[in-house]
Amino acid sequence: MESKPVLIVDDEKNIRLTLSQSLEPLGLELDTAVNGEEALAKLKEKNFGLILLDLRMPGMDGMEVLRQVSRLRPDIRIIIITAHGTVDSAVEAMKLGAVDFIQKPFSPTEIRDLVSRVIDREKLDEQKADDYHSSIELAKRCIGDRNFDAATEYVRKAISLDPSYPEAFNLLGALLEIRGSNLEALKHYRAAISLDPTYEPARRNLHRATSMEPKGTITLE
Amino acid sequence: MLSNHRLHIIIVGCGRLGSYLANKLSHDGHSVVVIDNDESAFNALSSEYSGFRVEGDVTEFAVLKEVKPDKADVVIATTREDNVNLMVAQIARRIFRVPRVMARVFDPKREEIYRDLGVETISPTSIAGDEFLKALKKQPIIEKAEP
Repeated sequence: MESKPVLIVDDEKNIRLTLSQSLEPLGLELDTAVNGEEALAKLKEKNFGLILLDLRMPGMDGMEVLRQVSRLRPDIRIIIITAHGTVDSAVEAMKLGAVDFIQKPFSPTEIRDLVSRVIDREKLDEQKADDYHSSIELAKRCIGDRNFDAATEYVRKAISLDPSYPEAFNLLGALLEIRGSNLEALKHYRAAISLDPTYEPARRNLHRATSMEPKGTITLE
Repeated sequence: MLSNHRLHIIIVGCGRLGSYLANKLSHDGHSVVVIDNDESAFNALSSEYSGFRVEGDVTEFAVLKEVKPDKADVVIATTREDNVNLMVAQIARRIFRVPRVMARVFDPKREEIYRDLGVETISPTSIAGDEFLKALKKQPIIEKAEP
């Protein structure tokens, strides 16, 4: 996957520019698309390994692009770019295999680190993954493969190795919610918050899951 | 070119000074985030500006957190109000530990306090005053101006 090109999909020129500039040091082949239609057209021309996708775009919005890509090329990894205050569609995104999110504005280091992590994730050896971070990364790889049961096992393993990270509990809560075990999910969001009362993703998930809102979403970032 | 290293710079306030800095720094290849309360202020940014724009009131801590100052190499405060600039600068330095924090301060009397806190201040008043004095010294007044 390291040698496969990366597609940047964003209607804003400054975001496409800043992403291209930030990722240059990684030496990856980069391409850009200004909207969903162009992105899907480019998918037919090149064998991309990773797509950086802005959710909020005019015309075909990010979620629709995600749905299409998930259907046509489920092997392609996707990083979702969000803006503060956008309605989270994280549970729907996760069902479609997208588990990595980054919120604007971000520093070049942040996006470089995330892209590197997603790329390195593909090379992880399951046999050798015996620490918290590797287990979480493997869980995310499974989510990318839509293998939610295996993902759940890896998150549980991560928690057993180190139960001090709110991220693992929040991720497990999200997986349980996808599975339909809502009460279990709530327990895990609460566990994440008790570990860190300022951990925003879990606070948002708990608030959403316990209020009478018709449109619910799971937050991972 | 400031340096070969690409910096991540947050500029608070997109007025004449803020937008001038944002345009130049972005052009030089740095990663720039500009924040202003008024969306129309972003019109001052050039079409080549490749950084982020955030609309919000920086005096609200939640808004400041949103631009992630902990990831910044530099924070430059350029709002019209000294007190806002100094508040932002102090928070950036103390809480978010930004390596370099700069603030425009109109009132020269305030500069000293903030230098002690590790905030680099630029006072347009002091600078203009010094330039006037320099110019005066260069050319002594010989004769009265013609009526």
